Amino acid sequence: MKNLYQPQPVKIEKIEFLSPSVKLLRLKKRLNFVPGQFVLAGLWGYGEAPFGPASSPYQKQYFDLMVRKGGTVSAAFHSLKKGDEITVRGPYGNGFPLDFFKGKDILMVSGGCGIPPIASLTEYLIKNREDFGRIYLAYGATNPDEILIKDMVDRWQKSVKVLLTVDAPTPDWRGRVGFVTELIKEMKVNPLDTVVVMCGPGPMVAAMEKILKSIGITDRRIFISEERKMQCGIGKCQHCATGEKYVCLDGPVFNYDEIDKNFD
Amino acid sequence: MTVVLEKSNIPKLTEALSRQYLVVDYEKDKTALSVKGYFLAPREKLFSFFSKTKKLSVRSSPKRKLLLFGLDLADIEALGQLDEIMTKPREDYFYLRKRRNSLIVGVVEHSITMPVATGDLILEKINPSQYRAVSLTKAGQEIVKNKFFKKEKNPEILIYPEEKSNLRELAQDSELLAEAVSWARVKNHPIWEKLEKICLGCGICAYVCPICHCFSMEDEIEIDGSASHRCRYWDACVLNNFSRVAGGKNFRPALKNRYFNWFYHKFVRAYKEYDNSQCVGCGRCQKYCPAEIDIEKVLSEIIRDYEKSLSAPTG
Repeated sequence: MKNLYQPQPVKIEKIEFLSPSVKLLRLKKRLNFVPGQFVLAGLWGYGEAPFGPASSPYQKQYFDLMVRKGGTVSAAFHSLKKGDEITVRGPYGNGFPLDFFKGKDILMVSGGCGIPPIASLTEYLIKNREDFGRIYLAYGATNPDEILIKDMVDRWQKSVKVLLTVDAPTPDWRGRVGFVTELIKEMKVNPLDTVVVMCGPGPMVAAMEKILKSIGITDRRIFISEERKMQCGIGKCQHCATGEKYVCLDGPVFNYDEIDKNFD
Repeated sequence: MTVVLEKSNIPKLTEALSRQYLVVDYEKDKTALSVKGYFLAPREKLFSFFSKTKKLSVRSSPKRKLLLFGLDLADIEALGQLDEIMTKPREDYFYLRKRRNSLIVGVVEHSITMPVATGDLILEKINPSQYRAVSLTKAGQEIVKNKFFKKEKNPEILIYPEEKSNLRELAQDSELLAEAVSWARVKNHPIWEKLEKICLGCGICAYVCPICHCFSMEDEIEIDGSASHRCRYWDACVLNNFSRVAGGKNFRPALKNRYFNWFYHKFVRAYKEYDNSQCVGCGRCQKYCPAEIDIEKVLSEIIRDYEKSLSAPTG
């Protein structure tokens, strides 16, 4: 019998600030995963927490986590240095339905710390660029310092239309100001042939869904990556249950139709 | 031929068995807690990690086989459900490791009318002084080889009807329960508000429940930092922080949401997952709730109103 709770040690190859509150952890291990899946990463003495890998699923040498200092585990991660060991188990969950995405226009919407699975998906889409139509990535951050994809934008722009916006600009910010929901005006969207992928704060997702619905994109083409408390990752502990679903087993990616009527 | 055991021989039997097994006479020492704690402990160490050697060890569990003696039918049924939950869709190593190293002997004080699917040996009362032994597994057959069991051609077999329990009867109709509890959420039935005012949010209902199995994990550190232990412990979904994530968002901030979720899991999600309501009507939560919330009355009220709504004219 396999012990699914047993974590594997993994070495930190690189650790650096992506923003004042978020660090990138590059972990030296080949992880076979589908963008949208998550791992439980942990540190002995502190526990485990869920993270969606942000790097390309084709990357064989390492995978990346983006860690916001928020809880016990993430705060402990922030104190680590190159060469230290953490643990991982997984990947868990379903990931994005990549086959369903094929041949369609892809509109990705993300805010703040919701970017990791979207970043991984973007890498996948770029690698398979010819399989998809137009690709947009709309990303909103509270301020320019909190944009977590600064290093990727230039490379991504070559294949994907990346639209950035901030809530509160700094004096040197030349880009857009406002909510991500407003970025939809800048996109050419064919509602019958577009899938939308979202990961970000609840209010952002809800506001976006309303707009998308009004332009004729059905709930079954809107995919959300959900966040919940996780302990086991294998559908036992009950923390991530929502309605009939377990975010760890049935998700974390759901189409909006599946979770629309859920109450928590 | 019927294999029978004299009632007066039960203490001698458990004593004999304890030479081979770690015997817990559950009938004799019945507590508020069900037997689930023997397999899913209130708190247990799963792994230990030693800082100096960087060695990880999976905590060992007792080698000696555990024999739980004296479970009634409700508890056996509950254990059967928990076995399924811990096996599907993925296996819970720590639960199953202990469960597979255990034997279950049921003692049933009434006539059995339905097949029993869990356990190794069932002792069914057939007359004031004798039990009929029905072994369900090889391990059960082994126990029956013990000298205290006798084969009898025509033992006196009397009918002892099961003591009537409304809650146990209610719990059987899992389809109706699933519909009614779902309906009570959609219609925002006043009962959730009412329960929120009474419930203390203490979680005892989940702890005493033989099927409730939610848990959390945390690390314990030795005071000198030499080792850390990953522990798992019973949690309860009515507790405030059950769905709270890092950063502070709580997906079920109100007790009303959490209480409903407890019902929803037991009667709706469980029904969809395993075709059963996760309640066997054992009555523990009824008996031990410090706020005297009576699950039987709650369910009856929901079902009554649901059925009323079905017969009410629509439009």
